Amino acid sequence: MHRSRYLLGVVALALAIVGALVLWKALTSAQGGSGMPIRVEFRDARGLRTGADVRYRGVRVGQVRAVQVAEDGSKAVVDLMLDAAGEEQACINAAFWIVAPRFSGLASGASGLDTLVRDAYVAFLTPKERGSRLLAGATLAGDERPPAIVEPDTLAPIGHGDLLMTLLVPENHGLREGSPIVFRGTQTGDVRSVRLAADGRCVEVALRVDNRHRHTVTDHSVFWVARPHLSGALLSGFAIADFSAIVSPFVAYATEPGKGSPVVDGHRAGAAAERPDLAVGEVPPEAIAKQASRVADTGDPIVLVRIVYDAVDRDTFSADDRIRGEGTGVLWLDASGRAVVMTARSVVDGAYTASETWGDVDIDREQITVSIPGGPALRGHRVWTAPNDLDLAALVLDEAPPDLRGTPADLLAFEVDVVAPSELRALRPDGARAVVTDLADLAAVLDQHRGGILIEAAKVSGLLGQTAPRKNSLARLVGLGVAPADLRPRK
Amino acid sequence: MVASFWSLRDFSLAHRRGDGEELLLSGATIDVPIGGFYLLVGKSGGGKSSLVRLCVGLFDPREPLPRTKGGFDCLGESVVSGPSRALRKRMAAILQEEGLLDELTPRQNVELALRAAGRSKRLAPALLAQVGLDPLPDRVASMSGGMRKRLAVARALAAEPEALFCDEPTAGLDSQSAAQIAALLRLAHDSSPGRTTIVVTHDLAAFDGLHDGILELDRSTRTLSMRTAGDAATDPVVVGPLPDRESENNLVHAMRHATLAVGGLAHTFAVSVLRLPPFEMRSTLRSVVECSLSPLPFVAGASAAIGGIATFFALRNNPVDGGFEAEILQGTGKVLVSVLVPLLCAFFFVARIAAGATARLGTMTRNHQVMALRMMGIDPADYLLTPLVWGMVLGLPVATFVGAVFASLAGLIAAQAVSGTSTLGFVQTWFRDVDPLDLKAALGKAALSGYLVALVCYHLGSGPKRSGADVGEAVNRAIVHAMGIALIVHATVTLCVYV
Repeated sequence: MHRSRYLLGVVALALAIVGALVLWKALTSAQGGSGMPIRVEFRDARGLRTGADVRYRGVRVGQVRAVQVAEDGSKAVVDLMLDAAGEEQACINAAFWIVAPRFSGLASGASGLDTLVRDAYVAFLTPKERGSRLLAGATLAGDERPPAIVEPDTLAPIGHGDLLMTLLVPENHGLREGSPIVFRGTQTGDVRSVRLAADGRCVEVALRVDNRHRHTVTDHSVFWVARPHLSGALLSGFAIADFSAIVSPFVAYATEPGKGSPVVDGHRAGAAAERPDLAVGEVPPEAIAKQASRVADTGDPIVLVRIVYDAVDRDTFSADDRIRGEGTGVLWLDASGRAVVMTARSVVDGAYTASETWGDVDIDREQITVSIPGGPALRGHRVWTAPNDLDLAALVLDEAPPDLRGTPADLLAFEVDVVAPSELRALRPDGARAVVTDLADLAAVLDQHRGGILIEAAKVSGLLGQTAPRKNSLARLVGLGVAPADLRPRK
Repeated sequence: MVASFWSLRDFSLAHRRGDGEELLLSGATIDVPIGGFYLLVGKSGGGKSSLVRLCVGLFDPREPLPRTKGGFDCLGESVVSGPSRALRKRMAAILQEEGLLDELTPRQNVELALRAAGRSKRLAPALLAQVGLDPLPDRVASMSGGMRKRLAVARALAAEPEALFCDEPTAGLDSQSAAQIAALLRLAHDSSPGRTTIVVTHDLAAFDGLHDGILELDRSTRTLSMRTAGDAATDPVVVGPLPDRESENNLVHAMRHATLAVGGLAHTFAVSVLRLPPFEMRSTLRSVVECSLSPLPFVAGASAAIGGIATFFALRNNPVDGGFEAEILQGTGKVLVSVLVPLLCAFFFVARIAAGATARLGTMTRNHQVMALRMMGIDPADYLLTPLVWGMVLGLPVATFVGAVFASLAGLIAAQAVSGTSTLGFVQTWFRDVDPLDLKAALGKAALSGYLVALVCYHLGSGPKRSGADVGEAVNRAIVHAMGIALIVHATVTLCVYV
């Protein structure tokens, strides 16, 4: 009895020692510098040889140990040995491919040209959202071509004042992170991300438009995904639009001059399924005229800016209301060099216009965008509101460019307090002076000639237009005399 | 020159019982001359054995000593609170239940006694021949009652005692065998001049003509008197009421028991440290082999089942189908190898070894083998505790190692079955989080648990046993306490290491 019990114990102990040795040997062979073995299956080994490199971001992180044909002959099986760095980077969703000379069409161009003069090698990339670590001895399916992974760090950083918006496209024709956004053939921004909408009915493309160009995007802009577009007929001849998209698709948009108002961050727009039938017209004569008049007309440089106000009115008992205001303002530089914009308070202060049945008005997420003609769109913030409930407010622009030009002080009159709207006179770009009797008309004129209309403000203190006027304040123009001294222009 | 073997001066002896005291001797005064062969007779339960046990020092340290009053000298030394170590070496006793060590051969029993007395083992055959045990059976268990008595005599003579006590040496024997044993005892008495022999017996017929006097313990009068060989050899007539019971305060009684219990624990712990160097190398080695090997089949099988099942279901119930397998295996390996398998191995070990060790100790205590060891001058801790400590301190880490290996191997098989993991991949992931500290902690927990489990087994197993039920109860408690201790040790060490 004792002997048999001991015998079984000895057998168990011997088995345990043998098992421990087997585990130990496997452990040391896996950890002992020789690396982690994995297996990748390709349809075509593309001439890969034993001893070739395994690279991650161009750095050698392993070696090809064996290249063989699968038993059923359907695949090439490549055994890799990853070193510690490779083991650290590899994960179950890493993409492995064989780098060999390859021409992938116009879109991607040629790759792997270094392997023209040296052996093919295996490369892999790990996506940003990495999967779990690989087990030693794991088998992965290799890719036949390099993955289309664009690293976010290759995108330009988002700058101050850049417009961030979302474009909904019916189908993603090869758009990806970093794809350009083009306006009149000029790149104005880039695609930040592309993903399928939650309900799967469209593709959401996040766009960044450079702050120098954000004024080119309005709520009337038309977007489309540019692909080569063949039009015409046999007899009349063919034309190919957006031919450059054959290399890489991009987002294009068109904005009719003077139409629509600038959009704020978070704007959502839908893209047309096809390229809209837009003719590339001639350069408008006004542009040439403006250019000419700017040279000629140096005596009356009043700087008018477009202002877009966006905020949310938090309601306790109902859905939040979005408040949106648009208007015009006069820009000058004050004594300390700050860019000051004087405008109607009803444009830039939600609390001034909103009314609340229950409790106080709760305005949140205010965003004021000031578009400078021919310049960037800048963020502004309210620094002053006129006393006595007057419809006048002053903004200071954040991070105004150093070369920003303001209205000269001598053109701004402070002695006049109130001017009737009927006396408002507008100077059109063509030089004609128009009398505007209603601010709604002024807004229409401004919409048509964005940045191209000057209003003779030498005698006018505040110069304001409203698209969503407050009751009884439509025609209220208040002189600058009430503005605090520190906001007054530099003499 | 000591003239008396026993000298009692107004000596009273009272037994402490559960609820009070029982007076056995009251004011006995007697001198028993040295060198005689005496019979100690009296009614059962009258205190004959207690008198002998007090004289020889066979009371368990965890038992309350009888209460005494007056003087009781043996060979010139007071034995009121037990004999001195030197005096005990001059005495030997043959217990009623012999106390032969079952796990040794008859010859080894005698050799052990010779060694304990500092004499050569080669004297064993002569001693065995002297008591008429030739040829000698292989096992103690196969010996008849008469042969067991003869072997007990041989073992008692091994120490060449000046005083030999025999407790009912003829009990359970037929008259012929009883007469042979009586003659043997007389022969043994005569073999060494000056030896005093006291035989506790009811069987006066067997010793008829062999004794030099009868010491009679009268239960009714609670006195001890001597009749010499010339007096009429009649059974003492005992009349009168049963001995009085002196009531005792329950609180005092409970406090004494509590003190003895705590003192017993402290004694066990102290002895485990003081007697750690193995004195009985042979039994220590046997214990180490026993503890290291016999639980292994059970531990290996159970650990493999746990490792396999845990890995199988961890991978099978993976909510991310096929994902994060490396992480799942890594976590499972860490938990099993570092924490769970060591703890479960301790439980398996307790179930397999600790229960058996406690049962063995309990039976030895019950069969007076432990008392026999003490009588031979062998500290039971040397013979029983030290081997157990070494066996468990070394055996439990071995069991833990085997358990961890088998759990890992079963985990490998499960991982291959569920997700086709390669051996290399499994090993690398399974042991990724297991560092040397984990292994040290696991083996440390095992060794510490082994030590404490050994103490528990010895303490509970060698405590006073009056019946088979006591042995069963001790085994039960040993399992529960040992598992509790293992759990506490593992939880504490694990928390200290990882938190």
